[in-house]
Amino acid sequence: MQCKELEIVLEQEGLAPLPASAREHLAGCTACQGFLADLSSIVAAAKTLPDEAHPPERIWISLRARLETEGVIREAAEVAGATLPSMGWRSLAAWFRPRALATASAGLVLVVTAVFLSRQPDLQPSPISPSIAQNNPGSTVSAPSVAPSPVVSSDSHTVVSDPTGDLNRTEGDLANFHLAVTSPVNTSLRQDLQTVNEFIAECELHLKQYPHDDVAREYLNSAYQQKAELLAAMMDSGRSEN
Amino acid sequence: MEAIRRAQAGDAAAFEFLYQMHGRRVYALCLRMVGNPADAEDLMQEAFLQLFRKIGTFRGESAFSTWLHRMTVNVVLMRLRKKSLPTDSLEETLEPDAENSGPKRDVGAPDLRLSGAVDRVNLERSIGKLPPGYKTVFVLHDVQGYEHNEIASIMGCSVGNSKSQLHKARTRLRELLQEEIREQARQERQAARSQSDAGD
Repeated sequence: MQCKELEIVLEQEGLAPLPASAREHLAGCTACQGFLADLSSIVAAAKTLPDEAHPPERIWISLRARLETEGVIREAAEVAGATLPSMGWRSLAAWFRPRALATASAGLVLVVTAVFLSRQPDLQPSPISPSIAQNNPGSTVSAPSVAPSPVVSSDSHTVVSDPTGDLNRTEGDLANFHLAVTSPVNTSLRQDLQTVNEFIAECELHLKQYPHDDVAREYLNSAYQQKAELLAAMMDSGRSEN
Repeated sequence: MEAIRRAQAGDAAAFEFLYQMHGRRVYALCLRMVGNPADAEDLMQEAFLQLFRKIGTFRGESAFSTWLHRMTVNVVLMRLRKKSLPTDSLEETLEPDAENSGPKRDVGAPDLRLSGAVDRVNLERSIGKLPPGYKTVFVLHDVQGYEHNEIASIMGCSVGNSKSQLHKARTRLRELLQEEIREQARQERQAARSQSDAGD
């Protein structure tokens, strides 16, 4: 066997096991020994390379949005009796997704409105409506703060401002109102608020553990906006009830 | 199969399940093929988009992962064709010709043994320099562990073609790695010389 023939054998049969004639040639040919040793080193090193890489979460978010737009994904609801593995905290997020898109749009409108109003000295608010003030002497409540919803810094990994302070303050003030808690609307709003609060807590906890998880950060942003909307709705409801 | 059936019915959770199951391998393949994360993300999304659009036509004749990889490879190679790489054309690297189009081995030249010198960084860098056809087969076979018959199905070629491409890819990698090692040795010598010059 010649060197050229050995190479054909290596191409067709792979590196091992080699036929007797090829082994015979190898025994007396240092060049082919070196060649085979090098190829074996390459193959061995290639096996140690990772065959998986973690894709950024935004790919799935974007992909899902496109599939939904195109109608490929027909419904977000889970099929009854599904045996697919749980996605941990994301299963709760799944409940949130359909609302998140709508909320993001509504939140944007609210942000723009809030900014616009804050620049109008005449409209600058915050004393609550007289009807509510009558029922709640001494309390002053501003509209829920939705403006600080962008909590992501320019490098997209650092939380730079957290709107929870404003939102929690507003929520606390709301608790002082004599809202018609027996009204089905308010009961529903309170349940929604509780769900959103739990989701926010879960997202915040998750982000403490995985600060680079962009999808969790997006969920958190959406949750803040949703909370702001709920609080605004509860304020309106309180005004109308009182 | 259950997840595929549900995805065919438009179930969102099934789509996500399939994505989570296969996404990491597809992303790794795209990343190695194009070498930069931005393009890899784009290609991965395109591959999954095509896959999910056509999932209704999947009948299970081939493994789902083979089907997905075929789509991914097609998307990647199509993109690389559009970019029209300046060096080896895809046709050259995908079609083995009879006249040794692959890398040549100069048996008479002094041999630079790679044993012990093939580290991951050098290997990754050299894989990045392979022509797309070689790179695809090498990554699928030696990194991701696909068999030649699967690669033939993924790439739409014969088993013999897959074997031939793999051998040429390995041989070309050997040359690239030898160049890497020579270059590193040259740089070390240069650094040592500069140090001794500075000492004088």
